[in-house]
Amino acid sequence: MNAGRRVAVFLVVLSLSAPARAQELSVSLAAGSFRASEEAYREIYGPSVPFSADVWLKLKGHLGLAAGFGRIGDEGRAVPIGEDGAEYPVKFLRTSIPVVVFYQLYLKAVDIRIGAGLCAHHYEETWETVDLGFKGNKLSSRFFAAASVALLGRLSLFGSATYDTIPTGAGSLLVTEVNLGGVQILGGISFRIF
Amino acid sequence: MCGLLLLFSFPASRGPLSLIRIPKGAGFPSGVLSRLQVDVRQELESCLLALADREDIALLRRNGVRFSVLARNAAKREILVVRTDSQAALAALRLAGQAIAVEPGTAVFWTETGSPSEAVPAGLPRKVLSSRTVRLDLRPAACSGRPAPQAAAQDPLVDMIVDLVATSNLISTVQSLQDFQTRYASTTNCEAAGESLLSAFSALGLDDVHFEPFAFSSYTSRNVVAEKTGQTYPDDIVIICAHYDSTSPAATRQTLAPGADDNASGTAAVLEAARILALYPLDFTVRFIAFSAEEWGLFGSRAYATAAGLAGERILGVINLDMIAFADAMPEDLQIIVNPASGWLADRFLDAASAYGPVDATKTVDASFVYSDHGPFWDNGYPALLAIEDDPLTTPYYHQTSDTLDKCQMDFFTSAVRASLGLLAELAQPIREGYPRTPVGLSATPVIYSVLFSALKVVRVTWSAQADAAGYNVYRTNFSHLGYVKVNGSPVIGTMYSDADVRTDMPYYYVVTAVGATGLESNRSKEAGVVPDVSPTTAVHRTLSFRPPGVGR
Repeated sequence: MNAGRRVAVFLVVLSLSAPARAQELSVSLAAGSFRASEEAYREIYGPSVPFSADVWLKLKGHLGLAAGFGRIGDEGRAVPIGEDGAEYPVKFLRTSIPVVVFYQLYLKAVDIRIGAGLCAHHYEETWETVDLGFKGNKLSSRFFAAASVALLGRLSLFGSATYDTIPTGAGSLLVTEVNLGGVQILGGISFRIF
Repeated sequence: MCGLLLLFSFPASRGPLSLIRIPKGAGFPSGVLSRLQVDVRQELESCLLALADREDIALLRRNGVRFSVLARNAAKREILVVRTDSQAALAALRLAGQAIAVEPGTAVFWTETGSPSEAVPAGLPRKVLSSRTVRLDLRPAACSGRPAPQAAAQDPLVDMIVDLVATSNLISTVQSLQDFQTRYASTTNCEAAGESLLSAFSALGLDDVHFEPFAFSSYTSRNVVAEKTGQTYPDDIVIICAHYDSTSPAATRQTLAPGADDNASGTAAVLEAARILALYPLDFTVRFIAFSAEEWGLFGSRAYATAAGLAGERILGVINLDMIAFADAMPEDLQIIVNPASGWLADRFLDAASAYGPVDATKTVDASFVYSDHGPFWDNGYPALLAIEDDPLTTPYYHQTSDTLDKCQMDFFTSAVRASLGLLAELAQPIREGYPRTPVGLSATPVIYSVLFSALKVVRVTWSAQADAAGYNVYRTNFSHLGYVKVNGSPVIGTMYSDADVRTDMPYYYVVTAVGATGLESNRSKEAGVVPDVSPTTAVHRTLSFRPPGVGR
């Protein structure tokens, strides 16, 4: 499904949810580990540490909306093709703004949310010692599952697993078309505002 | 792949061979010829001459290669390439035997009986076909050319060396060779001239002087080979050569062929260069060679260059001097003739002529001008130039009994020798006392570094450490042996330099010098180069941009 059609479907879902009355608002902060789908990414940067801040709005029934901000940044080394001679450090940064619809249910004391949505990404890959780099933007699909357990008052322990697929359409000698997606496992806290 | 010299070789067992002509030009099937292992025996400006059996011919036809058959049973014949500048010359050649024009000014020639060399009319330059498959230079145009001309820089040491050229020595040598009356190869006088040259070289204190015998037609003769061994690069050789045999019309050549200009002049230059360079330690080995049987069809140089090619000798360049003493008008200029792969050598000669002659010189790139001892070196893939007084020749004494010392113009002759010696010295690199030693072990390796969205080409230059070096300078050029520019700022500490300021579609050539503690800089190392053999994707080209030289180390 191309980005335009994904946006259209998402807007339909949002419009169906809009009349519902907000019942709960919470925010979460989390960090964890990112495993890229792309082997070349893992070769250059290894496992990366993502950070995420999200706002969760529970609507009527089991549906809800969430939006937030995510960041994955890492440092690595360019891969030599041929005899290894020198090191060229490089930096990678991906910032993401997800907007998702989730379905919420409770299993005893555990609040579980599963959902999907769209995510806008901006990414940059920069050589540190050579004036060479690449920037791009991409809208992609996101799938996630999250859970929280009440800890103290409005505070909960929070965890999530997120899967993105981000085909960029660009590449290099290492990869014909880079997919910047992968799996993020995050842990943190959630705070219920109301 | 840029910079590739392809060796065409032929299958071990073959049937009757035909001589075929394969035209060059648009659609020249170099890749197909390489794949089919066509046995090319002569490269000319507009065509190749090759030997082919029935199977080869069928293969060529199947692969759509255009060709024409010139002669059948070619392996049994001694076939010459003969210069025929006029219809009259071609007609005269046809009267002497079988002659077929293969391009304007060039014919192949053979006789059904006897030696075709002796049958060729006097005055027509000739060359016997290579005795083995020639190496063709199939480099793309990006690998040739030259940088924008700059004012030729004079090296004070080389200037001092060329100042040692003595006109009196040149006169003396030409006179002594002329005094043999004839040096026509096959005569005892020619062999005696060879012995006198051997003695002359032997008296100079060189590292090695010897005869190299060879057979031609039904005779034998000897090249005289002298060597000054290089101290830094003993296996890398620069050659200065000339033929010492002579000729004149058939009626007189057995008894009178003084050959003062052709080619006692070149031989005297080689001997004078040997006398002078014997006094200096050199980085590179220099061979001083006097060839015989050139007038028969380059048999002496063919034997030498073929053996060198088979032995894999590393010959950096050949300076062939043939007729450098006659001036039809002053100031006379030298003609420097090269094939495309030897263009850099001519450019260096032009610079040396300006700096050290001084003498005007003109470069001509003509793969069909194969009629002197540089030709067999071209056949074997070596860079070589011919320095000659005129092309076409203007001397009325060419191959005549009147080609004597009194017809030589000594100022022009001396300047030509100074220019030749200047280039030879620059190539061989005299070692300066008190300076750091010349770096060795240079290699240049292309490395592509890639990340997700972009790639960087880097040339990794490494060399061996010199004990007396405090640092090193790295020089680079896009044109082999020409126009080096320093790419490092302060001297490089260590023995590695990564050059990230490179494009993926250009060749790069490097030399390194050692810098001593007092700032004195050594001679340049032997050149190492990389050619564009790895090409990142188009997307990468689009994103590549570089900082000024100096980054990425």
